[in-house]
Amino acid sequence: MPNIKTAAQWLGGAFILVVFELLGRSLAPILPFPVPGSVLGMLLLLLGLMLYGEVPRGLAVVSEQLLKLLVLIFLPAAVGIYFLRDLSPRDWFALFAAMIVGTLVSLTISGLLLNALLKRSRPPESPHTLSEGKGDE
Amino acid sequence: MNEWLTQLQSVTAAFTSPWSWHHPLLMLPLNIAAFWLGLKLYRSSRTPLLHPIVGGSLLVFLILAIARINYPEYQQGSGLLYFLLGPSVVALAVPLKQNLAIVRQAGWPLMLGLLIGAILAPLVAVIIALLLGGSRTVLLALTTKSVTTPVALALAQEVGAVQSLTAGVVAFTGIVGAVFGPSLLRRLKVTDHRVLGFAIGVNAHAIGTVRALEISALCGAFSALAMGLCGALTALLIPLFLAT
Repeated sequence: MPNIKTAAQWLGGAFILVVFELLGRSLAPILPFPVPGSVLGMLLLLLGLMLYGEVPRGLAVVSEQLLKLLVLIFLPAAVGIYFLRDLSPRDWFALFAAMIVGTLVSLTISGLLLNALLKRSRPPESPHTLSEGKGDE
Repeated sequence: MNEWLTQLQSVTAAFTSPWSWHHPLLMLPLNIAAFWLGLKLYRSSRTPLLHPIVGGSLLVFLILAIARINYPEYQQGSGLLYFLLGPSVVALAVPLKQNLAIVRQAGWPLMLGLLIGAILAPLVAVIIALLLGGSRTVLLALTTKSVTTPVALALAQEVGAVQSLTAGVVAFTGIVGAVFGPSLLRRLKVTDHRVLGFAIGVNAHAIGTVRALEISALCGAFSALAMGLCGALTALLIPLFLAT
């Protein structure tokens, strides 16, 4: 019965996500440095997947669906922006200037920096060798 | 763990609460409908300016204003979605694992670029806002501007930033990066799709990654990887930085 098997895989995937979230949330307060519990859960799951060697099917499917719905999941938090009343015009100006100019500046610097770093690290005559050899690994 | 149980309890309590205009059985369909319409609008316009979060949030706000529902009531009715934020942060590990092979190919220059880019993005923004006299609320919201939303929201909670402002800043930053990033970088003679994707992913997270995928699969993979690594790195650095 393939339907029951699929459902079990989905449930297993969801279960893994919840277990790692709880694991992260429980361990985060014990760590010597502050980190959000869910982020710690993500790092632990990443470590687990690297040790396991592959992504279990159910987990891959559930994660993909969840990430597709990401905009829906954070919609309630985003709606709050229209209810903000305690920011002055000066704050709004600083905010927009920082977001627009700041993003363009950091994009420029990180782009140029990476360009220089990656160029130096490989022979100039074949800059795309490694990216094209992706399938060989 | 206890925190999580309390959250679960309040979600179920909202569902069994007496009927009202902000009951979850009304708020959830409202969110889903607004998300769906926002997505349709985005797909038919094909511009990052109309990212589903823009249309979706405006639609929800319009309905809330008409029905005279205040924000805390709406939040209570949408508890289930807040509950899913944690698992979706954890789920980011999966695409990260799938793209990790790329790191091994490009190695240390990529990691150095990531480290500098992840520090630079919030730093430049905070300095600009500081020079223009922005308040603490604004500065805090800017610290997570280039991080994917679920991680940014978790961080906002950790460092005491306003969640809504954080979500707004993240979405707007992503849109700026996605709209102007590719043409800006091309003008700077950055033609390597790996560099293009990585710079966009570090600065414009998921919204930028969608744009990067339109350029090429390689560009998209680098962007997704940069987004995940930048999120994890920032989540470790920001609380540490703010604590000192």
